[in-house]
Amino acid sequence: MPIPLLICDDSKMARKQVQRSLPDGWDVEVTLATNGQEAMEAIRAGKGEMLFLDLTMPVMDGYQVLEAIQREGHKTLTIVISADIQPEAYSRVMALKALDFIKKPVDRVKLSEVLHKYGLV
Amino acid sequence: MSNALTFNEDQRDCLQEICNVAMGQAGDSLARLLNVFINLSVPYIRLIKAEEVHQELRSLINAPQVSAVRQAFYSPQGNQGLCGESIVIFSDASFQELAHLMAFEGRELDARAEQELLLDISNVLNGACLNGIAQQLEEQLGYSAPSLIGQHIPVEQILDKEKLTWEHALSIKIGYTLENHAFQCDMLMLMPGAAISHLMSVLDQFLEDF
Repeated sequence: MPIPLLICDDSKMARKQVQRSLPDGWDVEVTLATNGQEAMEAIRAGKGEMLFLDLTMPVMDGYQVLEAIQREGHKTLTIVISADIQPEAYSRVMALKALDFIKKPVDRVKLSEVLHKYGLV
Repeated sequence: MSNALTFNEDQRDCLQEICNVAMGQAGDSLARLLNVFINLSVPYIRLIKAEEVHQELRSLINAPQVSAVRQAFYSPQGNQGLCGESIVIFSDASFQELAHLMAFEGRELDARAEQELLLDISNVLNGACLNGIAQQLEEQLGYSAPSLIGQHIPVEQILDKEKLTWEHALSIKIGYTLENHAFQCDMLMLMPGAAISHLMSVLDQFLEDF
């Protein structure tokens, strides 16, 4: 069974950058979301067992998504991929139970390091 | 007369994301400088024609007086590469907010300290944006030292002394919120048509890799 993977970023380029960085042969079914609200809808529909999440987005941002995931009790594993590299942004998302944090721009090496760290591939 | 060059949506999105990453770096530098946490927003990018610049400035900066700093950038490929002039513009009100954060123990910033702060912050923003574009698009860029265009001047005067020949401007709206102080500034990158065409083809190549 492929893992339902959700990629949430308001930039098309950033979503493609994540898709392009996925490990070869990783069995996932990708869903794309352009803001937090779309991401939550996808998660509620069971399309977000794993989530790659941007922070700075219109409509509903990444912090709000992390809060909503906790509030609604989803088991989603979230890896934040953001341009916000302030140490406090990192501690905030970790406090909101993100699994890890990757600094943009993402690439294959960075992503696969994190996925291996948690035994996800 | 300038030929109207326009970005397609993919080119605009790509450049905006590149600036987003750059502004994340700039935000981190500013946060360290000011010792606060900064809420970032996505920079908004538009390509405008020279004739539209004054109108754009008026709509972006709803303030009677501004301060502005310029910095030229150039390419080893000469006029065929990325080149132009980057201008950072603060409304006086916005800059006062920032100066207020920097002033400690009730000490007011004097004119000299204010000018230093203006140059420092412009440097962080300009440097991050230009470096970000150069690094992510794998372009080489050189820069001149930043210089002050003016403090507390009317918006209309920003471009009066402009000697560069330019047909287009990239307008980059930057918004940071820090400790309940909303801080906005705007960047204008004035570029000749050839440089914009070059930028477009570099963006297309970059997008083709996907």
